[in-house]
Amino acid sequence: MNNHRNPLRNGKIQHTFSYILISVLTLGGCATTKVADQEGKAQPIVASKVDPYESVNRKIYGFNDSVDNYVAEPISNVYKKITPQFMQTGIFNFFNNLKNVNVVLNDVLQAKFEQSAKDTGRFAINSTVGLVGLFDVAKKVGLEQNDEDFDQTLAVWGVPRGPYLVIPFLGPVTARGIPGVVVDTAANPSSYVGAPVQLVSLLNTRASAEGALKFIDEAALDPYVFTRESFLQWRQSLATDGKGQATSEFDDELIEDEAASNDQGSSTASTSAGKTLQVSSSSSDTKNFKDVSRLFDGVTQSFGQTAKSFEEAGNKLEGLKAK
Amino acid sequence: MDLKFIRLVVVFLFYIFGTIPAIAQDESAASARQVVDKFQTELISVMKNGKQLGFAGRYNKLYDSVSNSHDLTKIARIVVGKEWEKLSEAQQQNLVDVFSKLSVASYAHNFKDYSGESFTIDSEEETKLGGVVVHARLSVPDDKDVKFDYMLKEKGPSWRIINIIANGVSDLALKRSEYTTILQRDGFDALIAKINEKIDNYSKL
Repeated sequence: MNNHRNPLRNGKIQHTFSYILISVLTLGGCATTKVADQEGKAQPIVASKVDPYESVNRKIYGFNDSVDNYVAEPISNVYKKITPQFMQTGIFNFFNNLKNVNVVLNDVLQAKFEQSAKDTGRFAINSTVGLVGLFDVAKKVGLEQNDEDFDQTLAVWGVPRGPYLVIPFLGPVTARGIPGVVVDTAANPSSYVGAPVQLVSLLNTRASAEGALKFIDEAALDPYVFTRESFLQWRQSLATDGKGQATSEFDDELIEDEAASNDQGSSTASTSAGKTLQVSSSSSDTKNFKDVSRLFDGVTQSFGQTAKSFEEAGNKLEGLKAK
Repeated sequence: MDLKFIRLVVVFLFYIFGTIPAIAQDESAASARQVVDKFQTELISVMKNGKQLGFAGRYNKLYDSVSNSHDLTKIARIVVGKEWEKLSEAQQQNLVDVFSKLSVASYAHNFKDYSGESFTIDSEEETKLGGVVVHARLSVPDDKDVKFDYMLKEKGPSWRIINIIANGVSDLALKRSEYTTILQRDGFDALIAKINEKIDNYSKL
């Protein structure tokens, strides 16, 4: 639930958008024909632009959910019960402070030099006056925590987002987020300490995510879609530093869309199919995208097999709980 | 010389007539801001009395606040996308009805007590399609501010909220994905049942 700002957004959104459209075209030639075949059914295809592997993702989401319910949540509850609040805050601050090494690195990679100076200052103050980061002193002198990571850097560099994926035990990510996670882990000092420290870090992360997870439980009609949409929008807002413009334009689109659908009914579907073709022919990157898409296609196939075993594992967990 | 003079006159005229609509727009923008401001004030006051009021009390107090500041009919309509036309008139009415209840119930549940929160309106801007976005922020003591961007459209003489973007996450887009997914997969009755279940949960939590 954090966000910031940056002017590069429009170009990048178009970029991402064209990538998504192209991947729809290349991944599922059949999907595009479907649009032509039955215009009324345009909606599911629109959804699959962002989430082409929904059926696999849903299974892994279900698995992660049961792991969380039956393993992570109970452990985290015990942790919360036996750890006083001030210690939880201290531990959170400690790991958060270490994260700033990576934040500064990504500030620089995104050419946010002023912010990188501030974040360096933040790290220095909290590591010293804040007793190795246990106290967030910097916040009190007006140095807010910034949220930067390598996925955002890649976004600023114009790398397309790629499809939405749910990774076992780790949760939602986009294709672009995978190299992101690798770099972020490498650039975080806490990755190089022993397993017990990492376990504390994990527990603490789960404990502080409690509120958000509860909110999803309460508010979501379809928790999978809710998580996906809020994750993608949140990441987008982080990468573009929250420049509200595009979001409101997008909503204007929603409303315009609504008005148009009132006037013309299903004709909107055919126009969107037309747009898809236009973008693909105008882009010179199509071949690269095709290669990437094929790669992902391969990944999904193995995903499909793994997903099945995850579903079974999830069921077994449910069985255990029942006992 | 003549040409230059004419140009000056044109520019001058443009300034005179150009500014009049601009002033008019400013006035209407102010009223969008007022709608948000009024709603936030009412929300904070309900939060302050949240404990005494209980869920039912908060719900009743907020029902008018929410329906007078939000265009719930329009929101419900956008949220189901193209499916709207496929619904019968009775179904549309039913959807607007339960959707309104859910919106109020979720406010009543999520803003249940007060611990020093405050809303600040930072700025407002006009969108291309004649809407207004009011940028506000909710300050929570000892926590990061939550950014709230309210998107408003003109409805009759006043402005109504049609979307809230909290920390970059658009409520309208989020709901639209959920609602259309459920409608297409499980149908209208399942959607209504799910919404009612959520309202029920909110009232018990």
